Amino acid sequence: MKRFRTVLATSAALALIATGAAACGNDSESGPVTLRYSWWGNADRADLMQQAIDLFEDRNPDITVTPSFQEYEAYWQKLTTETAGGNMPDVIQMDFSYLREYADRGVLYDLDDQTGDALVLDDLLAGFDGVGEVDDARYAVPIGGNTWSMFYNPALFTQADVPAPQVGWTWADYHAAMAAIKSTTGVYGGGNYTGVIYNLEAQLRQEGGALFTEDGQLGFDQERLARFWQQGQDLIAQDVVLPVETAVQIKPASLWVDDLAASDLGWDNFLVRYAGETDTEIRLGPLPSDDPERLGQYLKPAMLLSASARTEHPEAAAKLISFMINDPEVGRIFGGNRGLPATNAQREAAELDGPLADVAAYEETIADQLTQAPPAPPRGAGGVEAAFIRISEELHYGRISVQQAVDQFFTEAEDILQS
Amino acid sequence: MPTNAVTATRTGPGFDERPVTPSRRRRPGDGLAGYLFLSPWIVGMLLLTIGPMAASLYLSFTDYNLFTTPEWIGIDNYRRLFDDSRWLRSVQVTGMYVLLAVPVKLAAALAVAMLLNSQRRGQGIYRAAFYGPSLIGASVSVAIVWKALFSDDAAVDRLLSMVGIRTGGWVGNPDFSLLMLVLLAAWQFGAPMVIFLAGLKQVPRELYEAAEVDGAGRWRRFWSVTVPMISPVIFFNLLLETINSFQIFTSAYVIGGRNGSPAGSTLFYTVYLYDRGFTDFRMGYASAMAWMLLLGVGLVTAMLFRTARGWVHYSGDNR
Repeated sequence: MKRFRTVLATSAALALIATGAAACGNDSESGPVTLRYSWWGNADRADLMQQAIDLFEDRNPDITVTPSFQEYEAYWQKLTTETAGGNMPDVIQMDFSYLREYADRGVLYDLDDQTGDALVLDDLLAGFDGVGEVDDARYAVPIGGNTWSMFYNPALFTQADVPAPQVGWTWADYHAAMAAIKSTTGVYGGGNYTGVIYNLEAQLRQEGGALFTEDGQLGFDQERLARFWQQGQDLIAQDVVLPVETAVQIKPASLWVDDLAASDLGWDNFLVRYAGETDTEIRLGPLPSDDPERLGQYLKPAMLLSASARTEHPEAAAKLISFMINDPEVGRIFGGNRGLPATNAQREAAELDGPLADVAAYEETIADQLTQAPPAPPRGAGGVEAAFIRISEELHYGRISVQQAVDQFFTEAEDILQS
Repeated sequence: MPTNAVTATRTGPGFDERPVTPSRRRRPGDGLAGYLFLSPWIVGMLLLTIGPMAASLYLSFTDYNLFTTPEWIGIDNYRRLFDDSRWLRSVQVTGMYVLLAVPVKLAAALAVAMLLNSQRRGQGIYRAAFYGPSLIGASVSVAIVWKALFSDDAAVDRLLSMVGIRTGGWVGNPDFSLLMLVLLAAWQFGAPMVIFLAGLKQVPRELYEAAEVDGAGRWRRFWSVTVPMISPVIFFNLLLETINSFQIFTSAYVIGGRNGSPAGSTLFYTVYLYDRGFTDFRMGYASAMAWMLLLGVGLVTAMLFRTARGWVHYSGDNR
């Protein structure tokens, strides 16, 4: 029976092609289509988005796109409830940390069904191979990317007579540099990097490991985490890193405000924000690594696009996604607003200036050291990160010992990952 | 039905001269008209309050992630609460907050109400000025301003260092962050103040005069006349503020974030509940938390009512 239907459908399709009526795919796609497109961002991005959508509608007169947007937190809250109510928008902006959460629940459309036709993925940057895939299905496509990096203030490094970060420098070199800068200039050598889970991830990747295992458990043991957090405690004891009181207080600003410290680690596109907070020159450099062959850096998808599994117009949705990531004109409109574009065409078209140009140039220099991105984080990864931040804060305040912190983190993280 | 409505209006004393018999009173149409007028409220209550509450009660016994069908797990959610260190922390933080914020806020409200109770020029302006903060109280912007005020080397820090107290920023100090939120709550004393003011107006002047004749000083008059006379109002405000304080969310969420920064010192009950429901997608667990909160607030309220017998005096009670 099923086979009969397939045959029937195929012959019908062939007939359509023969008559030239298949220009817009299968017949359910013909006629005017309205797509709901939901994304997070602010009014600035809304203007750019409208320009891009207008352009898309010009090229595809049959498709109308109705956009809606919220701030990041509100966006997820709304999307969660919409999805639970079976009312998810056709095309949604996706975050790497939520991808599996949604994919596992079967609410996302497998874009492989449209790849090669409505969805063109040939032009993605090399580092993005397979990004957006969960369990061999493609649930999302990256729009832009960035990589975890070292930021530093070259003036302070020079003043302390410490060589600037370069490939081959080790974590011990970094600690020594921070101490030298603090003692010669009086400025803190850096932020306490042990409060951020991505620094642990970098160290694990440099050792050939990963933050999470394939089956979604923690990819490291208690002893490894204790070693990591102990590094932070040593730095606090030597008084070479920015105290936690200050770090917490200046939020949401960074330590580059008032030049509080000489270095920090973070996503490279943060340079744009940092440059707005200080007049001091900040440069990007490679991560410290005890294995010069492995920097552990990878191109992380900053934002992705997904379609709803329940969309009535998968082809139109795929067209929109394809347009948003490939069209050079869209790349020119957004520039660096969505992170550095994920396709070569858009990266060339985007007129990057100021700090973003620096970031793009920096990514060029380490392009061959970038390795494959890890698979989409397991469900609950967001919660694990939050627990990491809170518990390391308690540790940095000296309210708990390293061992207590490790115990607490493992209890919470395992609890979160279990469900 | 329109006919019933007409009948109903006719039953009023002015319209109906016949003696009202019990059977006449219980005509079914009368009740129906009443319910008809009540219906918007009843429908709203059922759809927007009772319905969601029932759903939440059901969900609290399930494992529900918002996407898949809820799965019945009995009282597991409730049992797990007591092993959850974050939950225990949130109970502790919230309890501490209620214990501090309610008395501080009520004391501030009563003190200012008494100041505003006397006759003075421009009284209206003062009252408006003191009531103002509570109108904008729940807004996000106030919380942001508050955070800025209490930062290192900001207004509060400078003021305190002028008198020789050096605390540094309160925002980054886990020992002070809760206090900061208590002060924010106290600053928004407008609503209870207005109620106190109304209560104070009801205290007969003769009582003060009599007390004065008997040689009672200001303090004595306050404790022996004012407090007992307005004790029902104090009790009312105490109940209201206690219940409100348990539900602190906006200011805490804006200042401390969903993690209760710094170091979990502002991890309030509702903040953790929100985090569980909307970040970890554990709606069942969050629902169980909500019902535990209801239970907790109910218990505290019942306790307050018990103690009230000892200190709340209603007029005609024992005088």
